[in-house]
Amino acid sequence: MRRIRALRLLSLVLVPALFAAACSQRDDDDDAGTSGNNDDNGSADSSIDTSNCSSDPSEEISGDTITLVSSYPQSGLTAAFAEIAKGWQSYFEMVNAEGGVKIGDKSYKLAWKDKDDTYDAAKTVANVDELLGTSYDKGLGAFSVVGTSNNLAIRDKLAAACVPNMFAATGSPAWGNPDYPWLIGSTLPPYSLESYVFADLLKKEKPNAKVAMLVQDDDFGAGYEDSFKRAIEGTDIKLTKVERYAPGATSDVSTQVTSLAASGADVFFDGATLLPCPDALTKASQAGWKRDITWVSGTCISKTLMGLAGEAAQGVYSISNIKDPLDPQYDSDEAMSLYKEQVKKYAPDADIENGIVAYGWTQGAVFVKALEEADGANRLAIMEAVRALDLGDDVGLLSKGTGVLTDGEADPYMGERFNLVQYEFQGANAKNHFKVVDAYDYEGKTAELTPEELVNGN
Amino acid sequence: MAEATETKTPLFPPMPAEIRNIRIALAVVITAVALYAPFYFDETNNKIISQALYLAIAAMGLNLLTGFNGQVSIGHGAFFGLGAFTSARLMADYNWTFEATIPLVAVLTGVFGLLVGFPALRVRGLYLALVTLGLAVLFPQVANKPLLKGDRAIALVQPKPSGFESLIDGLDDDQWKYYVCLVVLVVLFVAAWNLTRARPGRAMVAVREQELAAATQGVNLSVTKVATFAISAAYAGVAGSLSVMIDGLASATNPAAYFQLSIEFLVALVIGGTATILGPVVGAFIVVILRRNTSDLIEGKEVLSPAIFGAALIALVYLLPDGVVGGIRRLFARVGQRRTSYEVATDTT
Amino acid sequence: MQLFLEQVFNGIGAGAVYASVALALVLIYKSTGLLNFAQGEMALFSTYVTWWLAAEKDIDIVPAIVLSCAFAFVAGAAIERILIRPVEGSTHNPLNVVIVTLGMFLAINSLALLIFGTEQEQMPNVFPKDSYDIGGAALQKETLGLLAMLVGECAVLWALLQKTKLGLRLRGVASNAESSRLVGINTGLMLMLGWGFAAVLGALAGSMVASTRTGFDASLMQIILVYAFAAAALGGFDSLIGAVVGGLLVGVAQSLTTEYVTALDGIETVLPLGLILAVLLVRPNGLFGRRTVERV
Repeated sequence: MRRIRALRLLSLVLVPALFAAACSQRDDDDDAGTSGNNDDNGSADSSIDTSNCSSDPSEEISGDTITLVSSYPQSGLTAAFAEIAKGWQSYFEMVNAEGGVKIGDKSYKLAWKDKDDTYDAAKTVANVDELLGTSYDKGLGAFSVVGTSNNLAIRDKLAAACVPNMFAATGSPAWGNPDYPWLIGSTLPPYSLESYVFADLLKKEKPNAKVAMLVQDDDFGAGYEDSFKRAIEGTDIKLTKVERYAPGATSDVSTQVTSLAASGADVFFDGATLLPCPDALTKASQAGWKRDITWVSGTCISKTLMGLAGEAAQGVYSISNIKDPLDPQYDSDEAMSLYKEQVKKYAPDADIENGIVAYGWTQGAVFVKALEEADGANRLAIMEAVRALDLGDDVGLLSKGTGVLTDGEADPYMGERFNLVQYEFQGANAKNHFKVVDAYDYEGKTAELTPEELVNGN
Repeated sequence: MAEATETKTPLFPPMPAEIRNIRIALAVVITAVALYAPFYFDETNNKIISQALYLAIAAMGLNLLTGFNGQVSIGHGAFFGLGAFTSARLMADYNWTFEATIPLVAVLTGVFGLLVGFPALRVRGLYLALVTLGLAVLFPQVANKPLLKGDRAIALVQPKPSGFESLIDGLDDDQWKYYVCLVVLVVLFVAAWNLTRARPGRAMVAVREQELAAATQGVNLSVTKVATFAISAAYAGVAGSLSVMIDGLASATNPAAYFQLSIEFLVALVIGGTATILGPVVGAFIVVILRRNTSDLIEGKEVLSPAIFGAALIALVYLLPDGVVGGIRRLFARVGQRRTSYEVATDTT
Repeated sequence: MQLFLEQVFNGIGAGAVYASVALALVLIYKSTGLLNFAQGEMALFSTYVTWWLAAEKDIDIVPAIVLSCAFAFVAGAAIERILIRPVEGSTHNPLNVVIVTLGMFLAINSLALLIFGTEQEQMPNVFPKDSYDIGGAALQKETLGLLAMLVGECAVLWALLQKTKLGLRLRGVASNAESSRLVGINTGLMLMLGWGFAAVLGALAGSMVASTRTGFDASLMQIILVYAFAAAALGGFDSLIGAVVGGLLVGVAQSLTTEYVTALDGIETVLPLGLILAVLLVRPNGLFGRRTVERV
């Protein structure tokens, strides 16, 4: 009796198991885990070494759609970064509506898939793996992934598979690391250059300045600090104090600012980002700190953040290479009108006056230009095109006089031409914005100016 | 042979044959599924299942401390992180093999558990919960210092993927990783099962229920509590180590990460069923599946995902106040009791 | 010396905020015996309501705060009745309530982001932005304002709990719910009121701190909650005075550490933690907590 019962139970288990064995999710021809060596591709003058790729990057895209994947915060405390995507997605929608982008003599539509990573690097890795598929065959590559650590986390895997990761959405100098030709940053000027421009400004305006810096306690802040120390070598400029604050949740920087104000400095470098940035400005004013020059991080020049600081932001300097949607001088600018109209059409809930949407739009525009210049619709050609850009200021919302120039390993940075801008506060209800004061051209110089460990460090 | 003149009603009714057979059948099915799973699922899903497995290990550690021993900790994410960073750095900077790092991590995090367990003797209940919370909040900041991240610019350590390659021909990398997690899980769970059924386990529960009474019974309170802390920390550390294999990295760039992890352990534990052996596994799977399915759920309203997750947690706690395993047990008990009283009533032999 | 004083003032300002939130935590603990992990996010939501009334509906800031407090009171009471009551009490696993409050923590933050947007916003000023000169050091009027609010809250709470019949009933339920019920006190109502008052405290704290900052977003209360917990633990969870003293201590300690201990740059959190640990080792129930006597 018992034995028959046991046999019945056993069969109950085995039968479904056999069915399951018959239909499995696994693609057994998958050799995702192993990396095979690929034959060297044809073009001898490629700027990228493809001899170790696990898949052939010169394989043409099948079909007529170029699919990109992206991973960025869409929920939680960093959800505000999701606005960037609204910019480039609107641009791609516009291009698709006009028939797509032409590579060679064929037209391609642009498609994209994205997932929320709540700014968590581990999730970014998982998202990219999932979106591109285990053999990375479900898309051309990654686009506009947000976060330095997030891009670093996916760098090695994509590099081994020779999959492009383009327009990484931070200004980390690490994107110019020559060991990773498949990763490239965006038009955001590298953080290290900001320090140089700041030093240059001081040399002109206040050669014996005493500078106090507020920076984040991580690589972003270290980038500003180390680059600035290098930039003032041999000058009379002194760095009197550096205060750091913990990144992440809204940090209260009152204590740090009080400390800096008491250090006897007459110049303030506000290298903070997000809320601590305008907070530091107001606290500095409240503390009655007499300053001749104040600088804010390029990540802080958005309408929202500067608007919060209001009068305390009067006269602060920064750099920018994107036209400010709030600047009345662009009200009848063709590129600006196009941007506003198309974003309203395709992303009606986006805030068109927010600089990061304008930034996103510009990345889309630059990428499409790269596609048009590409030799073919395959990863290698497209990546090479992105690494060989020579664009003027008529792309996207690039500021007048700027442009994008990249040259393979010699110049992997897009945003080396930008403007020195100064904030003009005209009243609480006015359209306050940054005025262009000067122009800088650092083409090809980022690598030599940036301390090496910031580029090759991680 | 003299016959007994009275039938004794057993104090604890023996498990009816039906229940026992169902349990055996279930065990067979689960074992078969667990062994076959990596061949059925694709790489992405295998990764998710493996994540549930290491979450279960951490939840089990917390179960020992909080479920069986009554010391509430919402800081086990710190031990997890310590384990993760230790493994990752040993592999990336000192060329250790992954498997060798696991025992070291267990010992290291166990020692840290001891260090935390001693002051925990003086700090009770919710104060302990808050101090451990502080640990979890502090960890990402500590990880940002050279001690844990080495000379890297950011607190992100990624060992070479080749360090995790399958050691068995014929097994794909993701399948191998799954089996490693499964084996570690089974070993640690069997150990926990033995522990809880033996004297130490009873001592732990006694301390939880009524410390004074336990002390009068000869239970060494300090040793029990501190040892439990150390063991639970070691479980969490090993889970962290495994996470480096599955996720490919140890990262502390998100300041709230380890606090969120600590909460996930607690949630997995409570929803699965505290003070049970299978509870942490069930809870871990529920948490992982929930987390996945609520992410990006509503197109255009992704910002709402945490709310859906939170609402699901609340709903689960309402529906299953004793966790899933607790609920199943009650179901079995009701079925079992009915049979037993029937048997007793009809006086069958 | 001047710098030292200024940093102390900074610490008092921050500490007053931690203390206000700690008061809310202690109030809930005293009246219901629970730790409310969602206190910060409830305060955040009320802060957004204040902002919405003041900035979007153009209501003056003080009436806006009053209205927001009223909303918070009702919401807090409702949350107790609907979400907490089913899982609290000695017949339930105490961890279940923790899970519910954690679920609320996630949900309320997410809802705030959904309803009010992800952008940073600005709260209109409550206090003037200038300062007094105390021996060369600047004492911000805001700091005094926050301190005044704290003192006011304490006074009102004290009067409520010690001098009114309602307060007596609240204390009764906190001390022994069963006996209170037997005496005829509506325990359910008292629990709801306890949560309602605590929510008001949170709303005040959130609105005030947001107005002293240049801007705020959904992350406003997260780190503040951690410090508030630390403050409450330091002072003793069953002591309202402890919450105040604890909060101020934590705030000042944090400020002075940032200024004088550069080795702890970026990990200032370690100090409040160490402080609490040190205090709890010597006085396991916090500075002002009462020893619980275990009867065998």
